[in-house]
Amino acid sequence: MKRLLADLHIHTALSPCAAKDMTPPALVQAAVRKGLAMIGICDHNSARNAAAVQEAAGKDLAVLAGIEITTAEEAHVLGLFPDAEAALATGDQVRTTLPETTAASRKFGEQLVMNTQGEVVGREPRMLSAASAYSLSEAVRLIKQHKGIPIAAHVNRPSFSVISQLGFLPADAGFEAIEVFAPMGSTARANELASAGLPIIASSDSHFLSDIGSCRVVLEIAAPTFAELILALNGQRGRRCCHA
Amino acid sequence: MTLNDMAKALSLDSLTPTLQLDASAELSGGYVSDLLSDALANAPSDGVLVTVQVHMNVLAVAVHTELAAVIFASGRTPERAVIEKAIEERIPLYRSNESAFDVVGKLYAKGLRGPHA
Repeated sequence: MKRLLADLHIHTALSPCAAKDMTPPALVQAAVRKGLAMIGICDHNSARNAAAVQEAAGKDLAVLAGIEITTAEEAHVLGLFPDAEAALATGDQVRTTLPETTAASRKFGEQLVMNTQGEVVGREPRMLSAASAYSLSEAVRLIKQHKGIPIAAHVNRPSFSVISQLGFLPADAGFEAIEVFAPMGSTARANELASAGLPIIASSDSHFLSDIGSCRVVLEIAAPTFAELILALNGQRGRRCCHA
Repeated sequence: MTLNDMAKALSLDSLTPTLQLDASAELSGGYVSDLLSDALANAPSDGVLVTVQVHMNVLAVAVHTELAAVIFASGRTPERAVIEKAIEERIPLYRSNESAFDVVGKLYAKGLRGPHA
């Protein structure tokens, strides 16, 4: 078993709040430089840049296609998928429930669709920063329908987390992991999260190149793949995720 | 102000009309928030919570903080399961087509105050 570093929550220039230089080749280079073996691409409410990052990475880095859905409760839910097609299909269902961008909303950031070289090939017309029509339970169900892993995003952040919006994790929410952004804050909160009985991963939620890998999880796995990640989250066949 | 006074004064729709309530119980105060982490920390017991958040966790917060009632503003309506849970937990739910701003303004004008007043 290898001990590999993974940062499973990284935005690209598609997210209006992310830097424009979060291009597929640039973020792959930054991740490799930080010694990461696996990253997840989770843009707000869309996965339109995930395949380009996978191609840009080639064999240097494993890239999981993902999404960060804003639910109707304004809670953020991550989905990580077995392939880019599943992430894209999920995103397409979510995007159609978002309002169109306006001149005013575009001032708060461009939504750049990029190719493998990092060239701009389109602009997303839906407002990706808005809340989708999917409720928390519907978003979790949608991710599972596409064979993805639903994860409660940055639960120790004061905004847009399931805990900030809903007070605590609903017992029947259907999450398969909890994401934290280090530092954890209070021990009480750490204990509360542990009591949910779900695996906890740490990731950076990077919107800037310099943040990539600043917070990550250590995976003891045979190879950096989606299937191995699932084994690690479930603690099966000698795989595990650690907090080192 | 009692629940009945409140419902009548603000022309609220009751979502839990079958609940038998203590008509004479006085409301202690009120709170308005859509962040349930905030409501959990600050809503007053025996008070009313005004919110547009319709997730099931509203009821968990209501039970935990011993709220007297919840008003969903802007015409927001929770799913059937939430209403059934409310009846089970004996938490009356109301709906107003007015915004939270207007609902709270009217409650304040009727003498209801926040927890730290």
